[in-house]
Amino acid sequence: MRQPTLSSATRAVHRLFGLWLLALLLPWATQAQGLLGGSASQAIVQTEQVRAELLAHAPQGAAPGQTVWLGLQLTHQPEWHTYWKNPGDSGLPTELQWTLPPGVSVGDIAWPTPRKFPLGPLANYGFDGTVLLPVPLTVEPGYNGSHIDVKLFASWLACRKECIPEEGDFSLRLPVNGSTALYGVSFDAALAAVPKNLPTGESRLHPENGFLNVALTGLPAAWRGQRLELFPEAVGLIEPGSAWTQAWEGARWTARVPLSPHRSDSPAQVPLVVAQAHPPGEGPGSPGVRLDVPVQGSWPAVAALPVAVPDALQAALDANAARGSSGTATGGGSAVPITLWAALFGALVGGMILNLMPCVFPVLAIKVLAFAKHADDRSAHRANGLAYTAGVVLSFLALGGLLLGLRAAGEQLGWGFQLQSPGVVAALAVLFTLIGLNLAGLFEFGNVLPSRLASLQAKNPTADAFLTGVLATAIASPCTAPFMGASLGLAIGLPTAQALAVFGALGLGMALPYLAASWVPAVARALPRPGAWMITFRQAMAFPMFATVVWLLWVLGQQSGIDGAAALLMLLVVLALLVWALGLKGRSRSVLAGLSVAGLLWLGVSAGPYITRMAEPVPGAVVATAVQGVSWEPWSAERQSALLAEGRPVFIDFTAAWCVTCQYNKRTALADDAVLADVAGKGVALLRADWTRRDPAVTDALARLGRNGVPTYALYQNGQPPRVLSELLSVEEVRTALAGL
Amino acid sequence: MQRRQFSAWGASALLLPATTLLHSGAASAATVGQPAHAFTLPDTAGRPVSLASFKGRPVVLEWHNPGCPFVRKHYSGNLQALQKEFTGKGVAWLAINSTRDDSADYMSPAQLGRWMDEKQAAATATLMDEDGSVGQSYRARVTPHMYIINAQGVVVYAGAIDSIPSARVADIERATNYVRQGLTELIAGQPLNTPTSQAYGCSIKYRNAAS
Repeated sequence: MRQPTLSSATRAVHRLFGLWLLALLLPWATQAQGLLGGSASQAIVQTEQVRAELLAHAPQGAAPGQTVWLGLQLTHQPEWHTYWKNPGDSGLPTELQWTLPPGVSVGDIAWPTPRKFPLGPLANYGFDGTVLLPVPLTVEPGYNGSHIDVKLFASWLACRKECIPEEGDFSLRLPVNGSTALYGVSFDAALAAVPKNLPTGESRLHPENGFLNVALTGLPAAWRGQRLELFPEAVGLIEPGSAWTQAWEGARWTARVPLSPHRSDSPAQVPLVVAQAHPPGEGPGSPGVRLDVPVQGSWPAVAALPVAVPDALQAALDANAARGSSGTATGGGSAVPITLWAALFGALVGGMILNLMPCVFPVLAIKVLAFAKHADDRSAHRANGLAYTAGVVLSFLALGGLLLGLRAAGEQLGWGFQLQSPGVVAALAVLFTLIGLNLAGLFEFGNVLPSRLASLQAKNPTADAFLTGVLATAIASPCTAPFMGASLGLAIGLPTAQALAVFGALGLGMALPYLAASWVPAVARALPRPGAWMITFRQAMAFPMFATVVWLLWVLGQQSGIDGAAALLMLLVVLALLVWALGLKGRSRSVLAGLSVAGLLWLGVSAGPYITRMAEPVPGAVVATAVQGVSWEPWSAERQSALLAEGRPVFIDFTAAWCVTCQYNKRTALADDAVLADVAGKGVALLRADWTRRDPAVTDALARLGRNGVPTYALYQNGQPPRVLSELLSVEEVRTALAGL
Repeated sequence: MQRRQFSAWGASALLLPATTLLHSGAASAATVGQPAHAFTLPDTAGRPVSLASFKGRPVVLEWHNPGCPFVRKHYSGNLQALQKEFTGKGVAWLAINSTRDDSADYMSPAQLGRWMDEKQAAATATLMDEDGSVGQSYRARVTPHMYIINAQGVVVYAGAIDSIPSARVADIERATNYVRQGLTELIAGQPLNTPTSQAYGCSIKYRNAAS
């Protein structure tokens, strides 16, 4: 009787004592093994950046059916971090590979809520400080060992700005019947930081072009009104580093997040983790929630076709390309790149549109004049049309060739470069003054020019038309027109022969309407018969010429300052004196002509430098607009980046004084009250990049938009491709673009 | 005179809607299916190299930074072999370094040129993009981020060099090399099986937008 009682009591005491001893000793034992680095247990790996330790939590032992957690605890040196399951723009998630005895298995890492680490335009998701990555362990019912030998090979990427891939082998022996609870607090904290699953409820995602619209419901009430952070579990869906917007509408939280342009998946459900933004301290982020949000609507096409080519043209080109590539697999040199055809087509159309741009105003008068001259003679019209076309095309080729040559020589130049030089502007002003004076009847070229040249002009009226073409090109071509901008931008990068072809197409396009008109008899018939009106008309045309001179002087004034403009005006006055004097007879002719030549020479020497020198650019002038708080700031790449980094959209007006179209847009669409009100409403920053003088920084910024000329209007928003507006702005277009922000 | 003006404006009325259509999205990120953004960058000897000069040939862009362990992983022989194999088949290979010049990883053009020489790299050119503008226009995120541009100048691949994101050299053998696969398909005139993948590696040390 006694024995059983005694034995059962002793057994109970033994068991209790054993449990107590195990509970006391085992965690210490595992730790000791770790510290000793014995072959059976090695729980800590220490690098310069990270201390990694394998931990276990089995308060009720590790028998089948018990809750058992393993975990890798990473303690980072200050500034260092490792990554979440979606590392963001770069990095790698920490990886755990387990080796376990049969009958024992582990699940996936129960990732705590991460933090966001911005780095320039990129961002990563991960953990700094101390983080424990818990993994649930399952022991099958049949497992009958006294302990579980756990082996882990872990690899993690430790990053500050630089990254160091690290790895380690860990091992640990877990008793089946003893409690392992030394790190209970760590595991409790880690599991509390794991995002809680929320029911989907009314939460939805709406993808649209370039953006993901997020609407979530059922978020914790305590978060209302606070800024949240959004972590998609899938890699490569959004742009983690880009600016995005969010808002609370009562209990509903909405956000608009830029989609990654490299996105390859179009999932129907997107698992998201949402947490309060900017959690204090270090380690995991503040505990978040996890939702598996259904996607409504369809994802935008990932691989959109090039948009610079009209669809029909693109289809034809594709067919061509397919034919070419099926013939020769490696694609010989015969296939002309798609983009060249697009550029040629764009150049032809752009050249035609150029005739309708405000830019053409300065030369409208000479064009009209050239046409009216031979109102009665159809064959002369045709000859003139051809000569004009030749003049325009050859001038375009010459300008294009010069531009390419200078660029090859290392100059940072773009289309319209000729008017960036005050010397050229002054020369054109002189030329237009002479034409104006001639039209007004102050002098005849016969009296001024050497007689052989003058007679050539008289005998060959087509030479006139040719020169008109040259002039029209020199003055009117610097602006870019719709279609033309993209073609020019492309041409600059093409091989010389192809680029010249684009320039030629531009010229042909510009001359085409005149050429066509000169070949249509109806046009010639529509003109009034020649008569006395021709003289009046001719004299009247002098005034548009002088207006062109005013414009050129204004351009020169922007380039070389008021002294330069005044010097040029003085030069023009003395020049007018000279041509008038040359038309006189006898003694007064020689005296006055001699005096004016002397005056010209003296002016050339003394005042010439004022004209050709470049005045120091005036820095930092902020130009106010009609709307309070909206003003134009001078553009610089730094200012642009700074504004974008603040999250403000930026509108850039690439302009030049010599670009009449730019001036027109500036005073119409860009000065419109409704446009400026939208600008104020959206907090858009206005920057003006002035290309009146040569400026490699502006040339470079244009090149990045695929452009090489002005006007160019671009709307930038952080995380989005810049949007280029058309060259001839309309109020509606600008407002639509602003509304899309 | 009047009639001519009218017909010209009539033509413009027809053309202008098409114009706005064309320009609505003219400039966007260089992604797969889009024309590759043109650029000109100096090589390590200071000579300007422009993408356009390789028109008519496939071009590989490799975002590069020797300070990055993922780049070093593939310069253990993998990248050199790829470069040799495909430059031999007429492909232009441009290694682009967008590391900003005050980063610890920054190498001067001369240093970078020497590093490439020592590694016996066979890139067509190694280009300097310290201000990160080209990198950002391609939305390159990591080193190595790989792009393939076809002979028509359209981006046909953007993503990782291979299928196993790790810094371990031993993984190269087991991985599917997306660049080799893509170039092989491109040269054979086939569509690319894998036109995008998740690029892995180190963040590109871009010049901070705010500074």
